Order: sequence, then C-alpha cells, then structure tokens
Amino acid sequence: MNLRVIYANLYVKLISVYREKTAMFFTLAFPIILILVFGTIFMSEDNIGFHLCVQDLDQTKTSQKSVKTLEESGKFKITRVDPTASAARYVQDNKVNLVLVIPKGLEKSLMRRMAFKNYSANAVITYVYDPSSSSVPAKVEILNRVLAGINLEISGSPPFLRPVQKSILTKKYRFIDFFIPGIIAMAVMTLSLFGTVDLDTELRQKGIIRKLCTTPITRTDWILSNMLYQFIIALVATAAMLLVSFAVFQVSLHLNGWLLVFILLDVFAFVGIGMILTRFVKEAQSAAAAANAISFPMMFLSGSFFPIELMPSFLQTFAKMLPLYYVNEGLRSAMIFQDNGAALRDCAVIGIFAAVVFIVGLMATAWKEGQ
Amino acid sequence: MAQETEYAIEVDRLTKRYGDLLAVDDMSFSVKKGELFACLGPNGAGKTTTVEVIETIRAPSSGKVMLLGMDVTKKKQEIVRRIGVLPQGFSSFDRITVKETIQYYARLFGGKKPDVNALMALVNLTEKAGERYKNLSGGLQQRLGIAIALVNDPEVVFLDEPTTGLDPKARREVWHVLQGLKAQGKTVLLTTHYMEEAELLADKVAIISRGKIIALDSPGELIEKNAGCSILTLRSADARVPEILRALGFQPVLDPDNDKDIKVPVHQNDDVREILNAVQDAGASCSALDLRRPNLEEVFLKLTGEALHESAPRGGGAS
Repeated sequence: MNLRVIYANLYVKLISVYREKTAMFFTLAFPIILILVFGTIFMSEDNIGFHLCVQDLDQTKTSQKSVKTLEESGKFKITRVDPTASAARYVQDNKVNLVLVIPKGLEKSLMRRMAFKNYSANAVITYVYDPSSSSVPAKVEILNRVLAGINLEISGSPPFLRPVQKSILTKKYRFIDFFIPGIIAMAVMTLSLFGTVDLDTELRQKGIIRKLCTTPITRTDWILSNMLYQFIIALVATAAMLLVSFAVFQVSLHLNGWLLVFILLDVFAFVGIGMILTRFVKEAQSAAAAANAISFPMMFLSGSFFPIELMPSFLQTFAKMLPLYYVNEGLRSAMIFQDNGAALRDCAVIGIFAAVVFIVGLMATAWKEGQ
Repeated sequence: MAQETEYAIEVDRLTKRYGDLLAVDDMSFSVKKGELFACLGPNGAGKTTTVEVIETIRAPSSGKVMLLGMDVTKKKQEIVRRIGVLPQGFSSFDRITVKETIQYYARLFGGKKPDVNALMALVNLTEKAGERYKNLSGGLQQRLGIAIALVNDPEVVFLDEPTTGLDPKARREVWHVLQGLKAQGKTVLLTTHYMEEAELLADKVAIISRGKIIALDSPGELIEKNAGCSILTLRSADARVPEILRALGFQPVLDPDNDKDIKVPVHQNDDVREILNAVQDAGASCSALDLRRPNLEEVFLKLTGEALHESAPRGGGAS
C-alpha cells in the first residue's frame, strides 16, 4: 500500500467530480428529493382526510347525528348527496369512488331496538363504490371502524376490551424518522454500486487502466483509493440528507459512531459487488443495466421504503438474505432505538458479507490486460 | 538483479495466443540501448500485442522477453519504474488539466520530482497547461501522452502508434518530439503503420505481418535489399492522367495526403519517357515531376503483398 499513490488517485477523482457539478448535484439531489417527497406525504399521515359522499334517505335526527359522528371522526370531509338521486349514477357522474347510503327507516329501527328490546331490528348501511379505485379499501376500513364505534355507542354498554397503546420508545417517533435511515442506506448503496461500475467501465473503455498498468500503481492502491473516494462521496451525501431531514422535518435521530460504521460497510459491500460486475460485464451500458438489476430489487425488498412485515412471508425470508436489509436494520437500531446489541448483530452480518464480496471483487479486478 | 547488457530489449521466440488466435508467432528481435526501433505493420499484425508483452501489460504464452536485463514476467514493479509508455489510443481523465495530469502521473512514480514545466515545453504544451484534457485536440492529447510517458525520465520509451489518426501537421509535430527523445539518447520502441514515420525516425525497422517479423534492418538497408523499382510522382489535377497511365499498363496510386500527386512504379528510364510522351500526346498538364527510389511502403508491399491500412484522422491539428 502506497499512501502517496492513494492520495494522488483520490485527488484526481475528487477534482473530477467537483468539476462535474451537474453530475454531483443530481447525485446528491436524488435521495434528497425522495426524502422531501416521502417526508411530506408521511408527515401528514395522521391527518389524512378522505372525501366521503353520504346520501341520507332517512332524513331524521338519528341519521343526521350519524353523519355528524362521521364528520367529527376527523377522517372524512362529507359531501351530502340529494336523497332523490341514484347513488350509483352519482358515483359515475361525479367521478367519486364511494357513496355511503343511510337507509330510510333507520330511526324507526333504532327505536324498535331501544324501546322494545327487539334485537332483530337493524339498518343496512350501503357502500356504493367504484371497485377500480385504489383508495376504496382504505376508506371502507376506516368507515367500518367508525360505524363499529357508533354501534357500540348505540348499544349503551361500555366496552369490555379496551386497547391502550404503549410504545417501547420513550419518545414518539414518526414514519419519517424510520424512513431516513432506510434512505441513507439505499443512497449509499446506489452511489457505491453505480459509482464503481461507471468509473471502472469508463476508465477501462478509455484505456486509462491500461496506461495505469504501466505505472507503479498496484491493484490494491487503485482499489483502496476508489474505496476512500466512494466513502467520502457517501459521507457528503449522508450529511446532505441528514441536514435536509433535520432542517425540514425536525427528525428525531441519534447521530453516533454506528452511522459511520454502517456507511463504511455499505460502501465496502457495494463497491465489492461493483468490482465483480465490471469484471464480467465489460461494456458500460451492460454494466449499468446489471447494477440496476441488483439495486432495484434490493431497494424495494430490503425495507428501505416500507417495513418488510407488509410483504408476503417468502419475500420477508428473501429480504433477510439481502445485505441492504442489515444496513437498514442496523442504522435504525443505532439511530432510533439506540440499541447497540442489535446494531452490533447487524454490523456483524453486513461486515462478513462486505469482507467476502470485497475480497472476491479484489481478486476479480483485472490489473493486466487479457487476465 | 538486472544483467548489464548492450541491449535494452531482447525478445526471444515470443508467442502470444488468444484462444485459437495466434497474435504473435515465434518472434525474436533485440533493440540496442539508445536505438529508435520501429515495428511497422498494418492493423492486426501483432505490433501492439508484442509491445504490451514487453511493457508487462500482457503475459506471453511462451518465449522469453528481457527488458533492461530483467525478465518482464518477473520484475514488473522494477521495470515499470524504468520505462515510459504511450499506449495505443491514449486517453486520460477528462476534467483534469494538462499540468495536473502530468503531476498526477509524476506522483504515481514518486522519487525525484520531474520538471513539469520543462516536460510541457518539450511537447510544446506550455500554453495549454490549464486546459482540461477533454478540450484538447487529438494532436495535443497525443503530445500530453508523450509528456506523461517521460515523467519518470525513463530509459526505454514505448510509443504505440503515436501519430495514428492525426492530421499531417500534428503528425510532424509529434515527429519533432520523437527526434528530441532520440537526441537525448533514449531507447525508443515505436509502433506505426506510417512508412514515412518509420523511414524518417527509425534506426532499425521490423516489418511485421500476421504476427511474424518478415524483415528486420535499417530503413536504408531494407530499401536497398528489397527495392525492385523506382517511383515516378506526377503532380496533375487532370483526372485523365491516371487513366492514361493505366492504359499503358502501369499501376498509378493517388497520394492520400495530396490527391494531385500520382505515384507510378517504374522499372527503367524508358518507362518514364513513355509516360511523359503519353501525357503530352493526350494534352494533359503536369505541374511537377519527381523520380525517386522506392520507400518502405513499396518494400512492405513487395514483402507482404498487402497494403498498409490507414484509419481516419483523429481530431484536429496542433496549435
């Protein structure tokens, strides 16, 4: 290992990237845009307001009270539909996806139940909906919850089972807090993987590697300087992402040494994969396509964007085989839960993976034409 | 330990295969210290492969190659410190300036710091010191490549087709630099498919075809031994002249650098008289006339039966 040579390479790469400001901007902009978009969406998650059309065919105090209860739940912005209109036609003509229809006789049925203890008396609330709309299931689920509450209130008996939520965290965390570590892991992965693939294939195709082969620089010096370069770029990108996250969303994340450790391992693992790819895929376009084929499934399946618990069980098993999963989990353990034990376990897994991949990548990197 | 020898390069029965393709076939030659040695041959003849084995970039399939008394397969680190290389199709980092590029390669070699300004002056790039590589013309890029090949003050310089694709002006500027290297006493191994270049610069020329050396000598000796005819050059813009010559049974060739010059191989003085009479009888004009002995191009054609291929010019001229 020759520090002078490593410094010379690092300097040339950093100067090159600094002078290509457009590329640098977009490199940093992509994860920041993701943070801003998803952060904005999920910041208002608790205040989601669906548009709900209600057709009250009963037009009584009870039916009006029911509509008011729906309105006061805070989940719906109510539009009242003319009782003489056809609900199905209304859905079609007004491009709404659901109309809740309160039947005529609601109050009478309720009276029968309350006054005469006639428990067979009931009222059927109809959801007239457009099945092609993707937000209908979520709307129906919330409606069912609100109607269950109304049913319970009408029955007059206090609930037997009463749920109380108790978080294991002393502080209330929002989705954005869980999202940022995932985005950091994902951004470092793409920067390292594509950075290595792009740089290696470009320099190889231009013949610069062939020229370097006739100088005293060794393969180890070359790879270490690349690694250091990717690490510095990853640190700059992470700093930019954290800056935006703290400034715009006031995230509650703990910054500690684990962050550096996981970024370093993330860089090692994906630079290693990049080196292996460029050994077998020589053309720049093919190498970029191969890198995409690796990074995209990793991005969506390893829990960067959403918890893997939402996926089918076989995909969850698959997710746990992906290196990015352990970077995501490790960063969350360290930055949210401050759980050093869990962070250490994740660090060990990604550390072993990074070491193996990096050694294979080191061996795979051709440093002599025709190898 | 390097053996002291009068030869900078000794190639003994070198063979290089790529699968079934035999790129270099049992080649042997040696280059004396201080000599400018040219490997001459068309694309695909095996010149670059041979040179890259000597430069330690490629491993030989068989045979032995010694550079400055060291085995190239065993002493890569020692060898690369004592050689300078301009690879074929040289390229560098796009966004790094001329001066930074030279400094970068100098750092890779370490040791005594080279005089970067002197190197830039040597290849006439001083005015372009702050220019980024991607903004340089083809000729300037090649000259930067030569400057880089000299950052470690090498004993042996390898220049793989340094003027390929350059326009005539840029080519002559590179030749001027190479003559300077020769004057400094550097050993230079040059590969080229320009006959004029080899003839003008080389002390010794190896004509390579299909992986083999088919002739090896000084340019003068090669021409002396293999010349079978003289070359008559007629300068005429009259499109009928080539047809007139063909009608007489000669084989005229248009000069690729100057389409007014028509070259005709002739065997005796009577041939010249016959051509001039025919041109005069046809009423065609001829502004210049030259009769000279054949050059390496004709020697090459005679020895190999194939013409040298020239690729399209690369970039503009030097400034």
